[in-house]
Amino acid sequence: MNPTDGDPNSRRSFLLSGGGLLTGVWIAAHWPAIAAAAQHAAAASEVPAAAGFQFFSPAEAADVAAICAQIVPSGATPGATEAHAAYFIDHALTTFFAAWAADFRPGLNDFQAKFRAANPAADAFSRASSEQQIAFLKSAEHTPFFGSMRTLTLLGMFSSPKYGGNYQTAGWRLMGFVDQHAFTPPFGHYDRQYTGFVPYTDKSA
Amino acid sequence: MNSNIFYLSGITNDPALSPQTFREDPSQTAQRPQWGNSLWYARMVGGSSNHFTANYWRLHDSDFKERSLLGAIAGTGFADWPISYAELEPYYTKVDWDIGVSGLAGACPSDPPRSKPYPMPPLPVKSSGALLERGARKLGLHPFPAPMAIVSQGYRGRPACAHCGFCIGFGCEVMAKSSTLYTMIPEAEATGRCEIRPASYAFQVAMNARGRTTGVLYYDAHKQEHLQKARAVVLSANGGETARLLLNSANARFPQGLANSSGMVGKYLMFNQGAGVHAQFEHELNEYKSVQVTRILHDFYESDPKRGFYGGGGIDARMGPNPAIWALAAGGDLPGFGADLKARLEAYPRSMMSTAHCTSLAVETNSVSLDPVLKDAWGIPAIRVTYKDHPDDLATARFLQEHAFQIMQAAGAEKVWKAPLRLARGGVHLLGTCRMGEDPASSVVDKYHRTHDVPNLFLCDGSSFVTSGRGQPTMTIQALAFRAADHIGVFAKRGEL
Repeated sequence: MNPTDGDPNSRRSFLLSGGGLLTGVWIAAHWPAIAAAAQHAAAASEVPAAAGFQFFSPAEAADVAAICAQIVPSGATPGATEAHAAYFIDHALTTFFAAWAADFRPGLNDFQAKFRAANPAADAFSRASSEQQIAFLKSAEHTPFFGSMRTLTLLGMFSSPKYGGNYQTAGWRLMGFVDQHAFTPPFGHYDRQYTGFVPYTDKSA
Repeated sequence: MNSNIFYLSGITNDPALSPQTFREDPSQTAQRPQWGNSLWYARMVGGSSNHFTANYWRLHDSDFKERSLLGAIAGTGFADWPISYAELEPYYTKVDWDIGVSGLAGACPSDPPRSKPYPMPPLPVKSSGALLERGARKLGLHPFPAPMAIVSQGYRGRPACAHCGFCIGFGCEVMAKSSTLYTMIPEAEATGRCEIRPASYAFQVAMNARGRTTGVLYYDAHKQEHLQKARAVVLSANGGETARLLLNSANARFPQGLANSSGMVGKYLMFNQGAGVHAQFEHELNEYKSVQVTRILHDFYESDPKRGFYGGGGIDARMGPNPAIWALAAGGDLPGFGADLKARLEAYPRSMMSTAHCTSLAVETNSVSLDPVLKDAWGIPAIRVTYKDHPDDLATARFLQEHAFQIMQAAGAEKVWKAPLRLARGGVHLLGTCRMGEDPASSVVDKYHRTHDVPNLFLCDGSSFVTSGRGQPTMTIQALAFRAADHIGVFAKRGEL
């Protein structure tokens, strides 16, 4: 096994595919171009979010999207809706997290049933008021289903877009994470202020 | 669900193919853990030096003789090493220069003596490092630039670190991390006397009737079995897999496992306990940039009987995990959902961690053994881990965590909180399972890493450790390997192999 195994589009395999040709000096000299090309390759492998839902029925998808939107709401910065977290979950449950699908749907259907029982006037979680949704989520916050929803929503927001979420890096923009292959110092406020390491004169440490 | 994610990456041992079981003590039946595997390592050419953080701490002089300095500790196998720091020092320096370590010699007042400075300056300080240094100096402590096996400038044909921020859990894309995949292995191949057979899996050591090893049985990538004949065999499969390989090589002469007349193979597993604190500051740190660690301190390294428990450790400043993992749990203390959760996620660039890396005592029941039922995808008996921290390990972690907490407060953090301190359920530092010693009745290898029982079989990896050190064992493993190689060469020239 070596780092070039796996996804042929990964930026790592892109870099190492040339084997011995890629000497350190060559990489250092071509780093910006390599980074740009690798970025393009990664973007090209993104899952198209508009492909529609494969796992969820329309009603299930609407409720899942509404739960996602309450977990990380939209506002001045992007939320789960802008990151297409519900599409990520749908995609995940039919592909790399397919093993979780068997438990997920009964959990979702149970959530829906309990919501309707608690809110007889509302026909679906997705069509309830935000206040009703928040109140119900508080009551469900410690259930395994909510735990799964929270995990999947956060993964859908902050994983690499190639896994089908984090649409147009909405999650990373929320978090202030810059997806770039190389940085130069200073990196932040406090190292910008740093004036250099002063050696110790005592030997007491 | 959450915890699985922490333990899976594309290059780590896959629990689906190489499963393990876990239990706290020998009275229990070990189960496959929900979180994956207990012993976690990179299963690829170059091993865990590919995905490690690259902290390169030398052991201190005291690490090799703590039993003599501090006395026995009841219920443990606390012992001195059969070698001294002075014997290993030339090989630590060889690691600095041949592997490529960045650092500042003499910066730490308690640093052990060194025969040569580092070959290159430390990596540029990050905001987390500047803050650790600010807080620690205010408290009269002695933070210093972290020695890292990541090159800060072009070195032996490899470029300087590009500060991409993906060290931990990933191979380095620019070859700046001094993984053996980019250092020793190509150098060895270039001699024409080293052949790498990737995707191979050694499952048994072959023996002859005279009690000598004749080679290694392995599966190739297509699960075809081969015997590689050898005059001498060196196992360096890590503290989990080396012990397993010996136990799976039991024969009529060694019914308890190869080289196990002492019964010590697999025993005294140690992980390095530890603890972390999270801190949030007013301005941006942008910890996702560059390497994990740029400042550490060793003020609490030595064990001090006045504390009432054995142990010591180092404290570092680090970014912690990348965004997805950070958001899931590692940010610590995250609200469940809604605007509060979002506000915390938005504070990611203003956040950092300070982590304590500590001792684990050698306890005989903490061990690697063979699971009586479970087998891996090749039909080979799986690793069974038995582990429960010694109370002193937890006391040490708690003690250092409190100091890390105070340092972050002194640095001016808006908010500091402690990550929950938990019993170790596994680890990435896999130490102690074939311990080194003079006495064949209580150790597996001698001071040259030669097994007491089989004269042409050597073991050299974390399994040789007698005590755990304070974390960051790779540098010592590599220094031991260079030293062992010198001695094996001498034995070969003398015709002893």
